[in-house]
Amino acid sequence: MQASDQTPTALMLAIPALLGLALFILLPFLTALALAFTDLRLGSPLPVELVGLEQFRRIFSDADFLRALANNLLFAAVVVPLQTALALALALLLNQRLRGTVVFRTLFFMPVVFPMSLVAVIWTLIYAPGPNGMMNALLTLLSFGYWEAHDFLRDPVLALPAIMLLSIWQGSGFQMVILLAGLQSIPQELYEGAAMDGAGRRQQLFHITLPQLRNPLIFVMLVTTILAFRLFDQVQIMTRGGPDNATTTVMYETVEAVFTRQQVARACAMAVVFFLLVLAITWLQRRLVRQQREVT
Amino acid sequence: MKSTTRALTQLLLYSALTLLALLFLAPLMIMLIGSLKADARVLVEAGTLSAFLPAEASLQNYADVFRRSDFLRFFLNSVFITGAIVTSGLLVNSLAAYAFARLQWRGRDLLFNLVLALMILPFEAIAVPLFYGVSMLGLRDTYLAQILPFIANAFSIYLFYSFFIGLPKAFEEAARIDGAGTLRIFFTIILPNSKPVFASVAILSFLTWWGSYLWPLMVTIGPSVRPLPVAIAGFFTLPPLLWGDILAFGTMMVAPVLVVFIMFQRWFVRGVAASAIKG
Amino acid sequence: MASIIFDNVSKTYSDGVDVIRQLCLTVEDGELLVLVGPSGCGKSTALRMVAGLEAISAGEIRLDGQVVNGIPAQRRNLAMVFQNYALYPHMSVRRNLEFPLRMRKLPGREIKRRVERIAEMLDLTALLERKPKALSGGQRQRVAMGRAIVRDADAFLMDEPLSNLDAKLRVQIRTEIATLQTRLGVTTLYVTHDQVEAMTLGQRVAVLREGRLQQVAPPGELYRRPANIFVAGFIGSPGMNLLRGTMEEKDGNPVLRLGPNRLILPEQVLTEHPGLQTRPGESLLIGIRPEAIRLADDLAEHSLPARVHAVESLGHETILHLATDLASIASDATDPAASTDPAPPLIAVLPGQHRFRPGDTLQLGIDIDGLRLFDMSGNAVG
Repeated sequence: MQASDQTPTALMLAIPALLGLALFILLPFLTALALAFTDLRLGSPLPVELVGLEQFRRIFSDADFLRALANNLLFAAVVVPLQTALALALALLLNQRLRGTVVFRTLFFMPVVFPMSLVAVIWTLIYAPGPNGMMNALLTLLSFGYWEAHDFLRDPVLALPAIMLLSIWQGSGFQMVILLAGLQSIPQELYEGAAMDGAGRRQQLFHITLPQLRNPLIFVMLVTTILAFRLFDQVQIMTRGGPDNATTTVMYETVEAVFTRQQVARACAMAVVFFLLVLAITWLQRRLVRQQREVT
Repeated sequence: MKSTTRALTQLLLYSALTLLALLFLAPLMIMLIGSLKADARVLVEAGTLSAFLPAEASLQNYADVFRRSDFLRFFLNSVFITGAIVTSGLLVNSLAAYAFARLQWRGRDLLFNLVLALMILPFEAIAVPLFYGVSMLGLRDTYLAQILPFIANAFSIYLFYSFFIGLPKAFEEAARIDGAGTLRIFFTIILPNSKPVFASVAILSFLTWWGSYLWPLMVTIGPSVRPLPVAIAGFFTLPPLLWGDILAFGTMMVAPVLVVFIMFQRWFVRGVAASAIKG
Repeated sequence: MASIIFDNVSKTYSDGVDVIRQLCLTVEDGELLVLVGPSGCGKSTALRMVAGLEAISAGEIRLDGQVVNGIPAQRRNLAMVFQNYALYPHMSVRRNLEFPLRMRKLPGREIKRRVERIAEMLDLTALLERKPKALSGGQRQRVAMGRAIVRDADAFLMDEPLSNLDAKLRVQIRTEIATLQTRLGVTTLYVTHDQVEAMTLGQRVAVLREGRLQQVAPPGELYRRPANIFVAGFIGSPGMNLLRGTMEEKDGNPVLRLGPNRLILPEQVLTEHPGLQTRPGESLLIGIRPEAIRLADDLAEHSLPARVHAVESLGHETILHLATDLASIASDATDPAASTDPAPPLIAVLPGQHRFRPGDTLQLGIDIDGLRLFDMSGNAVG
């Protein structure tokens, strides 16, 4: 505690940030909450009316939106475990005492500095249709010629997995770095103690490394899950939600609602649903982390 | 005997790492080499190994990018917008975090909890009303709409806060006794000893806003204030579809960042790892 | 230069813990006063309140007669040496020394002149361009001192400035600080938990326990005439032995009964404890310095049998932990009247080397001229 009151100084320091947060995060969020219960449309001459839960009823009976929600869930269900497993594998590989790990770490992390829009463009080339397409050619080679060339991004079955793959490519380096930091913060004595107790490398992995890595793992899975629900850039550039809604997402539907149909209120209702999803995931993560703290 | 097993393990590890590295590197190579080829050959050779061989390399595609698009303008837009967000964000958020971490004031704990709560609000949840507000104020297609909303950042405040709270208090107390006021202490004592967190926040917010797509897609109308991520998507759909040009555009877009990344890769890695400490 | 006055100062933390209770203490102009006490006694808090780093809950602190309660640290013109020195890690030694002068907006020439004079005085000239990281512990300590001296502060505050140094360096710098303080004549409040440091350094020493001032006195006085059993046990290493005894009367003279012995008190003890005459039959606590215990032969008068419990041989002296039939108590006992179980051993310090082993029995004699007597509430008999 200081000898004099610091409130004026503190306010001077904090006000710019607090004002920004209030104006550009809190206020829009509250606006979204409020508008979700109206029928506001951009440029509509009709007066705005309160419609209660009507917008929510509409979006939940909208097949496109439900498909978008299902796509996000599917995306999360596939990408989160795969990407985390890949990132964990990379982190474990890099955590071996090998020379040159910095070079490999740099390579694995590199896609993270690529803007997603650029990644989407490059991978569109990789997914080019016909036997000359790079992915097609690779799969033909690996399957000894059994693979038939597909037009990945216009194939209702393959479009979403195609987008998943490039998302994993772009994002796993981010996770890897976090997991690697987690691995490196595990005290060496734990391994030495386990070795003295007769644990082999495999047992050390399952009884020391993974339990010690629990919180970073939960963290990267949370972040990836939330990213899965924010999915937009790749879809907008590569497939525009198609073919036949196979790759549409909640964010894509939200932006579509505003831009093609001027339905601000409806988009706000979608944003509220999106927010509730993120809130639920975050809550789940906090619970998981807390549970573990109670145990230890 | 033991050493042969070890050598074998090492060989296996290196093979796995190299294979993975090639997979991670492939898209970059495809972009780089494709950008040096004649447009027509990019697609034709994509399925063969020559996708990775820059035969008859030329910089023609790069020249074409400047001819067919306003690349320089997009690039400078991105630099200006991201630069403005990052630099003013560093100042504004670190000052606020310092007030939360070290000063005694009424309402501090309440406001800080509010800031923490705002951290879980993803931008996507507020994009629509924010867009609505910007449209109402007639601020679409301006730099202001792309910079101002993103300067104050709850997560940056949190990262600064966690760092400041861990600094020994004695330096500040010594400076106070030596006659320095709060602002002076911040700029002469705290700032020079907080380089890691400033680097972390700068890198994280740079990565976020340099690649940002959704918001500029919503608020920009013409090319005048359009940043690179939206510009490349536009260039990609600009007929005719010339892959060589597109890849040259992409290469120029990412090259400066890659150079900076490779020079400061240690800081990038540290910065990202620091973002996870809240777990 | 200025005096520092604590006038009924209290400090209560927001969780209701009282760290300082009604402290009244004056550091005279030009004096070096050491505030000593076990960790957690509130001594650092007291110092930090003078500095302006902690708010004062009640009472007043006056510097040079002026109440400073509401004045922020940066306007009090005090200099402080911190336990970890708090040298600014990103600044060179020169910049560290300049910092307080720059804050006072002194002209550049004056800053340079003063810094170089101080550097010369503290033998830092060759280190001026180094960063704190590149200095040894002793050098850092000197820079911290320099930063305090350079600005002509009204008073110095020192918060355990030697605790991060190794034992040898500590002794050396302790002497340097004493010399420097005498030479500069700056009022200095020095906080430490180390009673040796307090005794060697302080012109006066103030003993603090659980936020309460126990005694303020010059070191010799503190050693000879501790005001209560806490001070008796805290000052001196090892501290005073405390034994329970009874006052009796024999031929009209007061006699002290200690175990099987009846000690006729010498004149010196009687004049030091004038209240003794009025307490025949009362129980008392008898303080005996370990140095006042010596070996006696079996036949000597007033000898005490004892069994050796442990032996610590320091070379120039031997410390014996002894078990006796006497009722000894600990100096930090909350209730000195109650018997503690197990009773603390009697400690004796004998000059030179002795070949005792645990289990040996021996006869002790007591040099009774230096006895200190306390009533059963732990306060010295007045």
